[in-house]
Amino acid sequence: MGLVLGTLLAIGDLYGGKIVSTAIRFYVEFFRGSALIAQAFLFFFGIFRGMLRLELIDPIIVAFIVFTLNSAAYQKGYVKGAMESVYKDQMTAGLSLGLSKPQAIMYIVLPQAMRIMIPGWSNEFSSLAKSTPALLTVGVRDLTAAGRSIASHTFRFVETYAFIGLIYLLWISVVMKILDIIYDKVKLPGIEITA
Amino acid sequence: MTQTVMECANLWKIYGKIVAVKDVSLEIKEGDIKLIFGPSGSGKSTLAGCLAMLTTPTKGSVFLREECLTEPGVDLNKARARIGFVFQHIWLFHHLTARGNIELGLRRVMKSPKKEARERAMQALREVKMEKWAGHYPAQMSGGQQQRVGIARALAMDPEIIILDEPTSALDPELTGEVIDALRDLAKKGTTMLVISHEMPFAREVADEMIFLDEGMIVERGPPDLFFTNPSSERARKFMARLIKRTRRE
Repeated sequence: MGLVLGTLLAIGDLYGGKIVSTAIRFYVEFFRGSALIAQAFLFFFGIFRGMLRLELIDPIIVAFIVFTLNSAAYQKGYVKGAMESVYKDQMTAGLSLGLSKPQAIMYIVLPQAMRIMIPGWSNEFSSLAKSTPALLTVGVRDLTAAGRSIASHTFRFVETYAFIGLIYLLWISVVMKILDIIYDKVKLPGIEITA
Repeated sequence: MTQTVMECANLWKIYGKIVAVKDVSLEIKEGDIKLIFGPSGSGKSTLAGCLAMLTTPTKGSVFLREECLTEPGVDLNKARARIGFVFQHIWLFHHLTARGNIELGLRRVMKSPKKEARERAMQALREVKMEKWAGHYPAQMSGGQQQRVGIARALAMDPEIIILDEPTSALDPELTGEVIDALRDLAKKGTTMLVISHEMPFAREVADEMIFLDEGMIVERGPPDLFFTNPSSERARKFMARLIKRTRRE
């Protein structure tokens, strides 16, 4: 989700004109410049419960929204960088065939940019996966929170936390491995991308 | 009477203080092969870009058939689909195979069904003798092979005119021959072409008219024989002498 929104933001920033790109800059600054915990708090208590009066909203939905918005702000940077590295001539060549600009972005620029940004994307995933404990503040029990309650019941702190660390490690390495495989699969023969 | 395919009238392109194209007018009729040449920086590529509406001219007008492309509100995407363009630096789409490069325009612009697009792409590749390379990516081909695919990509769209912006100048000398051969085949088929090139033997063989451009202006124009025997302007004479000397060395 963050990737889709991040891509839209990157397109808006690159091709959307001054007003759109300024708005996007504010958005990105906000989400990158403040803590995830604060964002979760603000959205849960401030916006959903306060302004929208949704007392019964599921914190998990809020968590999902905040994570998406936060991750999009970061990913916009990756996507934009990757899109800029696809040289302008690829766009010109597309236009020369009669493709419209959105078509050229869709069929030429993005497929090339996505290949370049997979390594950056795996970074983003690993840091996001480890920031789930921030959600405890709005009442979502993530892995760490679950571990804490087990530990305090059983008094086996070291074992519990070590096990939880292991789960994170496994989870993240599996996803990274999958991304690596995808990266290899879509790599273009004859081109070494160093990103 | 043969019809005019493309025309430009009093075309100017100004970048800040630099005048790249200065009051150029020309007309290309069906089946014509016009060859533009001139020193580097003389505005050849800019002129080619303006004619294909990949660059917006500052002043003047460009016509494709009867339609004026420089008027506001013209669907430029549609117009560009009717004009083939071959780039100096080739610019194939890196993430697509030779065939994919050609199919993209057919599928997305011409809206051809998959099967037809594939057949047309293969046919275009055959015309430049690249059918064996259909499944290869640009990075796996030599420059000359890539440029032949570039020509096939333009060709497959059945354009009314093909504009070639120095199609061989970015290639190693030993690779220009195969590209020139492909162009020669196009010429034989009566394709309307505007070629920017300094390949003089090729020019002499196929061009109906040669146009010498310097400092953004047409300095002299006429049949190839004129340039090879007795150009009237001093600048053209000097430039020709240099080119011929270089060609002999090669």
